[in-house]
Amino acid sequence: MIQKSDDIIIKTLARILVPFIQIYALYVIMHGHYSPGGGFQGGVILAASIILLMITHGLKDTQKRMSEKTVAILSSSGVLIYAGIGVVCLILAGNYLDYSKLAKLLHVAPAHARSLGILGIEIGVGLAVMAVMFSVFFDISRGEVSQEDEDE
Amino acid sequence: MNEYLLSIGMGLCVLVFLILYRVVFGPGVFNRMVALSAIGTKTLIILLIIGFLYNRVDMFVDISMVYALLNLIGTLAASKYLETQGENY
Amino acid sequence: MEVTLLIEAMDTSFRLMEDARSQAVDLLNTAVKLTSETRDIEEKNIQAIFTGAQEAKSGFQNLVVTFLMLFAFWVLLSGKYDLFHLALGVICSLLIAYLTHDLLFANVRVGDARVIAYRFFAYIPWLLYQIITANIYVASVVLRPKQHVDPQILRFKTKLESDISWVTLANSITLTPGTITMDIRDGEFIVHALDKKVAADLNAGEMEDRIAHVFMEADHIYVQDALDVAPIFGELKRGL
Repeated sequence: MIQKSDDIIIKTLARILVPFIQIYALYVIMHGHYSPGGGFQGGVILAASIILLMITHGLKDTQKRMSEKTVAILSSSGVLIYAGIGVVCLILAGNYLDYSKLAKLLHVAPAHARSLGILGIEIGVGLAVMAVMFSVFFDISRGEVSQEDEDE
Repeated sequence: MNEYLLSIGMGLCVLVFLILYRVVFGPGVFNRMVALSAIGTKTLIILLIIGFLYNRVDMFVDISMVYALLNLIGTLAASKYLETQGENY
Repeated sequence: MEVTLLIEAMDTSFRLMEDARSQAVDLLNTAVKLTSETRDIEEKNIQAIFTGAQEAKSGFQNLVVTFLMLFAFWVLLSGKYDLFHLALGVICSLLIAYLTHDLLFANVRVGDARVIAYRFFAYIPWLLYQIITANIYVASVVLRPKQHVDPQILRFKTKLESDISWVTLANSITLTPGTITMDIRDGEFIVHALDKKVAADLNAGEMEDRIAHVFMEADHIYVQDALDVAPIFGELKRGL
């Protein structure tokens, strides 16, 4: 189990940096069309911000912010957004993930609808990637508890 | 301007090779970790210089910001691990 | 016959006096208990006034300031200023400000944030000047044929109070070539210095004075602090 660090410098630096890292991750997700980035990269940066919080502030404080239930809901909803957009395109008489058919729903030109469709997919991928990476790290770090004491 | 930046980039690469000596031969794991973190700071500037040379600075600014972030978190995580597990590694 | 009557009367009077005494002791105990309970309740009320006022005022203000800072960062990063991307930026900044606003401003003193921000930006050029001069000095020390390197470890306590000013001082010391902050233990800085001259520069304390000036600490009392503390004094005076 990861204990709280007793060094005041990295605790203060981590708590000031985390909001900026998260807004940078969201910037990377949203601007996947124009600069290097996209869904997977933004999700990894989001997970890295929460891992930074966990290393410096310990497991218990991070669990108050991001519990296991939240992580499970986030990963499922990420996959739901991805598959859901594909199925909506199917319902609207197109192929699976054929975004131009979304133009009927959003009242925009088909080219613009493709751009918005891919943006939605990237958001789903980002959420799922962040949740899965965080939960893998969480499980690995908690795996050492079985040697000492289990009071969960 | 391009030649000036190119020469600065090559000078920084020479410095990276000097620090690489510590990564390979450093007695113990702490020397290697600190040297890796120092290489990370030189790499940031080299990435930006490459961006200037290819005339696409905005893309390389994004890449170097991500690399700075990962350098920091990597050093912190490795030192946290070594703090609890000791140096017999 | 009178003797037994007398003895009975004395017995009754002794019993009455014992009852009265035990009743008096009971009354005294209850009075003490009630006074201490009221004292506890009063103290809890005073504490609630203090922290409640702090949190109520600062919660919403923190959210707004965090949102503005994050949105400014987004606009700086993204080069596109059309409506769609700006609306995306507003949504993302709102979401992250809602989730993490208590992280950024955890230990804010009741000071004037605008003055602190202005003084912080005025402190940075002085720091850059210090870095450049120390750089030249350390390069000259290292490149001499016989090295005058004389490493030493300094320990000192500072007059700074909040954790942000400690971290600023530690980072400024580490950024200046020649000195590295090793640890902050029990409010005491442990710094490794390369040479006697850089150690003497650090001991002069000019950096510490400037940081105390930036974060408005160890300077003087502020009107807002006195206003926040005034209701507590009122309650205490009424209680005593």
